[in-house]
Amino acid sequence: MHTWVAINLPKYSYLPGELHAWSTFPITLTDIKLLDGLTNAKAAEYLIRDGPNALTPPPTTPEWIKFCRQLFGGFSVLLWTGAILCFLAYAIQAATEDDPAGDNLYLGIVLTAVVVITGCFSYFQEAKSSKIMESFKNMVPQQALVIREGEKVQINAEEVVGGDLVEVKGGDRIPADIRVVSAHGCKVDNSSLTGESEPQSRSPDCTHDNPLETRNLAFFSTNCVEGTARGIVICTGDRTVMGRIATLTSGLETGKTPIAKEIEHFIHIITGVAVFLGLTFFILAIILGYSWLEAVIFLIGIIVANVPEGLLATVTVCLTLTAKRMAKKNCLVKNLEAVETLGSTSTICSDKTGTLTQNRMTVAHMWFDNQIHEADTTEDQSGASFDKSSVTWLSLARVAALCNRAQFKAGQDQLPILKRDVAGDASESALLKCIELSCGAVRAMRDKNKKVAEIPFNSTNKYQVSHRLYYRCDLNDNRYLLVMKGAPERILDRCSTILIQGKEQPMDEELKESFQNAYMELGGLGERVLGFCHVMMPEDQYPKGFAFDTDDVNFQTDNLCFVGLMSMIDPPRAAVPDAVGKCRSAGIKVIMVTGDHPITAKAIAKGVGIISEGNETVEDIAARLNIPVSQVNPRDAKACVIHGTDLKDLSQDQMDDILRNHTEIVFARTSPQQKLIIVEGCQRLGAIVAVTGDGVNDSPALKKADIGVAMGISGSDVSKQAADMILLDDNFASIVTGVEEGRLIFDNLKKSIAYTLTSNIPEITPFLLFIIVNIPLPLGTITILCIDLGTDMVPAISLAYEAAESDIMKRQPRNPFRDKLVNERLISIAYGQIGMIQALGGFFAYFVILAENGFLPTQLVGIRLNWDDRSVNDLEDSYGQQWTYEQRKIVEFTCHTAFFVSIVVVQWADVIVCKTRRNSVFQQGMRNKILIFGLFEETALAAFLSYCPGMDVALRMYPLKPSWWFCAFPYSFLIFVYDEVRKLLIRRNPGGWVERETYY
Amino acid sequence: MPSNKDDGGWKKFLWDSEKGELLGRTGGSWFKIIAFYIVFYGCLAGIFIGTIQALLLTVSNYKPTWQDRVAPPGLSHTPRSEKSEVFYNRNDPETYLPYTKALRNFLAKYGEELQRDQMKFEDCGVDPAEYKNRGDLESDIGIRKACRFSRSLMGPCSGTEDPDFGFKDGTPCLIVKLNRVVNFLPKPPSSNESIPEEAQPKVQPNVVPIYCTNKREEDAGKIGEIKYYGIGAGFPLQYYPYYGKLLHPHYLQPLVALQFTNLTMNTDLRIECKVFGDNIMYSDKDRYQGRFDVKFSITSL
Repeated sequence: MHTWVAINLPKYSYLPGELHAWSTFPITLTDIKLLDGLTNAKAAEYLIRDGPNALTPPPTTPEWIKFCRQLFGGFSVLLWTGAILCFLAYAIQAATEDDPAGDNLYLGIVLTAVVVITGCFSYFQEAKSSKIMESFKNMVPQQALVIREGEKVQINAEEVVGGDLVEVKGGDRIPADIRVVSAHGCKVDNSSLTGESEPQSRSPDCTHDNPLETRNLAFFSTNCVEGTARGIVICTGDRTVMGRIATLTSGLETGKTPIAKEIEHFIHIITGVAVFLGLTFFILAIILGYSWLEAVIFLIGIIVANVPEGLLATVTVCLTLTAKRMAKKNCLVKNLEAVETLGSTSTICSDKTGTLTQNRMTVAHMWFDNQIHEADTTEDQSGASFDKSSVTWLSLARVAALCNRAQFKAGQDQLPILKRDVAGDASESALLKCIELSCGAVRAMRDKNKKVAEIPFNSTNKYQVSHRLYYRCDLNDNRYLLVMKGAPERILDRCSTILIQGKEQPMDEELKESFQNAYMELGGLGERVLGFCHVMMPEDQYPKGFAFDTDDVNFQTDNLCFVGLMSMIDPPRAAVPDAVGKCRSAGIKVIMVTGDHPITAKAIAKGVGIISEGNETVEDIAARLNIPVSQVNPRDAKACVIHGTDLKDLSQDQMDDILRNHTEIVFARTSPQQKLIIVEGCQRLGAIVAVTGDGVNDSPALKKADIGVAMGISGSDVSKQAADMILLDDNFASIVTGVEEGRLIFDNLKKSIAYTLTSNIPEITPFLLFIIVNIPLPLGTITILCIDLGTDMVPAISLAYEAAESDIMKRQPRNPFRDKLVNERLISIAYGQIGMIQALGGFFAYFVILAENGFLPTQLVGIRLNWDDRSVNDLEDSYGQQWTYEQRKIVEFTCHTAFFVSIVVVQWADVIVCKTRRNSVFQQGMRNKILIFGLFEETALAAFLSYCPGMDVALRMYPLKPSWWFCAFPYSFLIFVYDEVRKLLIRRNPGGWVERETYY
Repeated sequence: MPSNKDDGGWKKFLWDSEKGELLGRTGGSWFKIIAFYIVFYGCLAGIFIGTIQALLLTVSNYKPTWQDRVAPPGLSHTPRSEKSEVFYNRNDPETYLPYTKALRNFLAKYGEELQRDQMKFEDCGVDPAEYKNRGDLESDIGIRKACRFSRSLMGPCSGTEDPDFGFKDGTPCLIVKLNRVVNFLPKPPSSNESIPEEAQPKVQPNVVPIYCTNKREEDAGKIGEIKYYGIGAGFPLQYYPYYGKLLHPHYLQPLVALQFTNLTMNTDLRIECKVFGDNIMYSDKDRYQGRFDVKFSITSL
């Protein structure tokens, strides 16, 4: 009687943490009386012992650590060093002088503010995107029906404990891992766990060693589709299968995103340059006889000039903008950096169900009148239809409608049929919708034909028989109609006749063969085929009121009349084949990884182009040439379909071999662990892997992938948690949009960085010349910050809006080892060429102002010592005039302002030049409105900083004479001409020296 | 990044003997890129020098384009000192030697023996007089004569009799000059309104007066008498305008010597000197524009 409690599951290594804990779950017989369930006291005791029945949320990084990461990551360390040096310098000054100049204190505060503000900015950007995630969390607490002390009580699912007796019915979510003790037509949908879309029946019998395949276990967070079942809870919370997968997921280390690696690489370069230059000049300054304090101040200046303070914020904004643009196209990005990852993706491992397919069974083909008819499977019913006038079709429709327990949920009459919700299993729903679409009014048909008896489907008889009273008033017909559907070969066995053109004909060998062919053909398409038959029961044997007994079948179940076949498939989404094609032309390999059957998987793969037309697998070649599979050279087959059980036996080398040599791969019947192995295999070969999936079983792979893409509608919470990106419309085609946006942003980030880095040279060179040739300082640290964080920002961001120069979906994905965000060519162009011209522009403005005020260039060299001496108040200029300290400092600060304005002027040319990397600006056009706005904005800002009253005190910027604005114009023009010529040479001589040395 | 590869990554990057690559480039490649940069920077230097030459063509030889920053002129003093403090011990010559040396050096060019050349110098009288116009800046008169200004006008502060400029006796001298500004004509005050009462007696025609007093209230009475030496105890107008270095190479700007005859010893004293004139301005930020202040601290122990 009590045998069902002894849970004798053998060890099964499904996951690294083995499930043998199931068999040792501590429930003793005496705890439970079969019908009464646990006592409340016991339940409370277990609840305390085992904890609530909920998955432990993945460990989240505390907010303050996230904040600190923003505050001390990237360039911040350098800036902090600068700020600390500033405070140190001020402290030394304060200790040695009575009236220390506040400059260093002021600069230190400004630097600190810059770091803190950019840190806060990035932090809030990050926080914003993680908030989006919270909206996905299911806020409604799950309920569960348990039996305790003999009474059914509705409790919160979190309070369910091991040993509880629970009851589930169709539509419920299973509250924990349960062992079924009794079931009535119970079917569960395990797709979120195994990826199998077919509902599976549940019964008290242990049918398999594998806990995932045995019939008597139902799993936490899967759904009961129909029927009812009662079961005893064996595992709760993290100990459930779902919990184990979730734990496996959260235990995975995720690598850095490609863009994060790129940015890190770039920060290393810049930091290296800054530290090298800073220390070199620090030592040089000491050797040249400057005091320690001065040397430290130079060091600060060089650091500030070298670090593109605004750049990381610019990158964040660019990524955010792209993320927003992608969200509009139904790609929701959880992790900002993932925006670019899609762009560098070289392999997409896609789940089948729901992503490539519509995730709803649809009738695809029918066979009646000895002919295959094609049904319309498209989402919008735009496909071809078939001849509906045949009498056989009407009979087939009648059988399919009557022998069907699925029904539309109430209150959806105004919705299109395909959008309506159906209660019932997937294939019956498919039939229902198909009939409703082509004949209509299934309900009326059922009302007219009352069901009198039913033998439900189960695996042993594999057919379903519905007896219905079929009452024909006009003909005074009181006969019963028997309808039956099921596995085609079983149905055929019971038939002696077949309906052709509405007439019953005896089933002969020819027709049987024709049936076989049709069955094979449809099965080969990966479709689920059902056979249908009926019979009019003779009135004399089964008069009105005949008592049908379904347990002890007392009526005719053979010599029936075969009506036809209907086959169903989860059809591919309309946009997918096109999207797969686009991926292929973009050099991205699309691999299908599914838990489904190989045949179905292959059929869908062929349907969507993952296995392209004309490409064969080893098996196909073997079948075509009629030779054993072992004789086929695997190299001849570009495509391959690999079964999960075969995958288990493959060595790492074999796996690499498959991934390398086959361009079109389908993995079927894969477990979560194997999905992980596939992802790792691809990554081992250097690919950047995107994984799409919706089920819990996909989540380890989602996490492991460089970018995990979860489904917004059908996706489980665990998968969404593990993913970096969520497709709101579950459509694979949205990924292609994502790839395009990702590639575009990578190109545009290059441009943006090239633009921002260029102005570093006119920022550093003043310091270097100041130290080496002792001229008055041409550009101050505050003005440098004004450029980096003020005028350069909007134009740099505007480059993110730049349109692509060529079709970015026609080229190969970038090679993460070779194709860097910042490479030596970019540095060479930005620092060595454009930057130098910019610096000259700035210096020219500087010399103009000093010369026009009386200090000719020849006199400036070596003047610094007296110039910066506060006690010298009669410094002579080239005309013999004498200047007080403050007077010449005002001129110096005016020079800083002019240098700053000159950088703005040369940056106009730079931003226009950076719009393109290969094309001429005249080809690209000036359609980027944000960029035009940026040009005006930076100019207005520069004018404001120069002319606004009070700026002399606040930022030491002074009004410029109008003519000084034009000093840098020739240099701005020079930059434009120089770069246009360079790009012309690149276009004229593809692969030439200019391209090799300057194309970034 | 080369460092990410195997152990020999860096070494191989430095010198790859297989491909003959130094730092990732072959010799030919290095030659090409270096040649490119030499030519490129050569051209840039040429362009830059060209624009600087163009700039020099636009500026005048005689007068800077803009003088709004150098005028109104500053008031500077010798000896100058760090943070305008004069600290010394009367009994220790070492402590005031830098000051007297600075004064000697400064006055050296005012020596009478240097002003004898009649072609370069002329007498402009020992009394204040009108501005002495020597023609337009741009006219082709060439080099202009300078007015003589003998150091003997500095009286006890001339250094001829007292080589210590009074520092030893606790009566230090300070020599004050109005900064040179090409073509600038200082205007004596036209009314007495803006001038403090004590300074009013110093106002006389053709002189820009200078007046020194205690800066802080609490130093009142501790300063003692201040003696002014020079033409009209201020800056006489016949020394203006200044024609600039090129046209006026021998120009001597008029000086005023201040002697503090009765400073209180062993205490900090702040003294502020100001010149008064219609086109003399003061600025909060610039403590040397039209005025200066200096801190004396003389120990006599």
